Amino acid sequence: MSNVLLDNTPLTKDAVHKSAVHKLAQLDINISVSYQQFNLDIKLPIPLNGITGIFGHSASGKSTLLRAIAGLEKNLVGEIKLANANVADKVLVNTEKGNYLKPEERQIGLVFQNSRLFEHLSVLGNLEYAVKRCKNRQLDLNKVIELTELTSLLEHQVNELSGGQQQRVALARAILAEPKLLLLDEPLSALDQHSKTQLLKMILTIQKKLDLPMLYVSHSLDELQQVCDTLLVLAQGKVVNFGNIHRVIHQLNNFGENPLIHQQTSLSLPIRQFNNGHGLAVLALNAQQDIYLTSNKAFENQTQLRCFILASDISIVLTEPSNSSIVNHLFGTIKQISNKQNKVLLTISCGTQDFFVTISAFSQQKLSLTSKQQVYLQFKASAVRTFIH
Amino acid sequence: MINSDLQALITTLEMAALTTIILLIIGTPLAWYLAKMTNRFKVIIEAIVALPLVLPPTVLGFYLLIAFSPEYLPGQLWQQATGKQLAFSFSAIVIGSVLYSLPFVVQPLQKAFEQLGDSLLEAGSLLGAGPIDRFFSIVLPLTKASFITAASLGFAHTVGEFGIILMIGGNIPGETRVLSIALFDHVEAFDYARAHLLAISLLIGSMILLAAIYWLNLPKKNRRQRLVVNTEQVEPNSYE
Repeated sequence: MSNVLLDNTPLTKDAVHKSAVHKLAQLDINISVSYQQFNLDIKLPIPLNGITGIFGHSASGKSTLLRAIAGLEKNLVGEIKLANANVADKVLVNTEKGNYLKPEERQIGLVFQNSRLFEHLSVLGNLEYAVKRCKNRQLDLNKVIELTELTSLLEHQVNELSGGQQQRVALARAILAEPKLLLLDEPLSALDQHSKTQLLKMILTIQKKLDLPMLYVSHSLDELQQVCDTLLVLAQGKVVNFGNIHRVIHQLNNFGENPLIHQQTSLSLPIRQFNNGHGLAVLALNAQQDIYLTSNKAFENQTQLRCFILASDISIVLTEPSNSSIVNHLFGTIKQISNKQNKVLLTISCGTQDFFVTISAFSQQKLSLTSKQQVYLQFKASAVRTFIH
Repeated sequence: MINSDLQALITTLEMAALTTIILLIIGTPLAWYLAKMTNRFKVIIEAIVALPLVLPPTVLGFYLLIAFSPEYLPGQLWQQATGKQLAFSFSAIVIGSVLYSLPFVVQPLQKAFEQLGDSLLEAGSLLGAGPIDRFFSIVLPLTKASFITAASLGFAHTVGEFGIILMIGGNIPGETRVLSIALFDHVEAFDYARAHLLAISLLIGSMILLAAIYWLNLPKKNRRQRLVVNTEQVEPNSYE
């Protein structure tokens, strides 16, 4: 089955590259949704490119935002439009002008947390439901079935399937409607770890093969770090941050009293060496400095690796450690020191890359660390965490 | 004459069939509306629909008799449109039956629509299905059992109607003389043999109809071996 995921044949029947014709530029959102206990206020252009993550805790408004884009949210005031460089803007909703495009007219797909399959239809029946209603069909049903690994399940009733299988049917069905934008609302949250990994790979492959822009809602930063290039963070119905995923995560390290995430350094680095002969892989941080981590044979398919290092897993040394078992030591300059009670968050730049380190106030005092001071960071190879399990 | 009983049977079946069809046509949108309704008028409409369950049929029959008579507007309008009197006609007993059997059709449908919820309809709309399409491709197949129940209960209840028909239909052979009325006639005439025949036929007929409904409503799973296939788990997996 990996062959299907790795081969580069297009999914369309006539091998026309869809994206060239229908590429969307941007989703312009300016809406507010109010309920008694909850308000969502979002004014933001979202460039539709790859997979954009939408992160936040429960009741942050993530799902409401997706429902608004899909046309399912009734309590909405404002405007949502698809702006495209070559074509006139497509207004999805504009309450001021009284424009409202029904969900069935928006060409937007949505994969729900709870598959929402039609129980009176078989797996194939569910897929055909989407195919029959799709105008200008370009996708090859069989290729999508193969890609989502549903070949052996086609005749089954949907309530006979496991959670992971149901979500694969839901994903295949959503794609077969051939939307211009796919929304994913916590698609993995009800699944076990194995199914999660499998479905995430499928989502990534499909995104690349169809060049289909996706908005991916999750409360799990872990999931989003694996697939998203851009991250939108919501809290209490407001946009907290939006931009490159690593930059956003780094900015969240300094977020208020109750941090939304574990403080960390989030990285996406080229692989210099899969295995140095001792079971360690080597990533190129910059021309001079490398990062070592535990190797995994799954790295071999990739040139770039996403990983993160928790701020609490890095320690500070004033002189270059030469007699330590800890393999990673990087030279850097302290950029920022922020104290919170007895903990200190250090931002240390190593070349162009910032690293985040938490130490105790006691250690800071003992080493008398100050801004612009040059220090060594050290962390074990096992502290560099990847998403490959 | 057994012939007159046969005619009563035909009239009864015609009335019940027509009533059921009309009830499905008006009951379905009404049940849908009630299922989706959230404002306070919902309880009032629900109460009106349920009224025939508690009201003596003669009360409803009495008001309908007045309304259908040529002295009042509904009866007048009917007479102008058709040239015939509404009261004591086949049409009158069909209208009466529709009102009288309304809750038996609306309530099971409303419950089914409420249970179905919006989630699958939302999924359907995002796959490009419009409202009519969604009704026939999602709602109808998933609430089929409730439609069968509603239609059968509406039909059976109409067959068993007595008081309201006596009030607004009278006892005109071939027009408004239905089985329950014919049975009453036989008893009044002390013709117990024919009364027995009609009574036992109605009893057995109703019994068979109800048994058929319950059988049709059995979950299909009970008749079919449940197959849990999990071949995916044993497939070699290259992601690891």
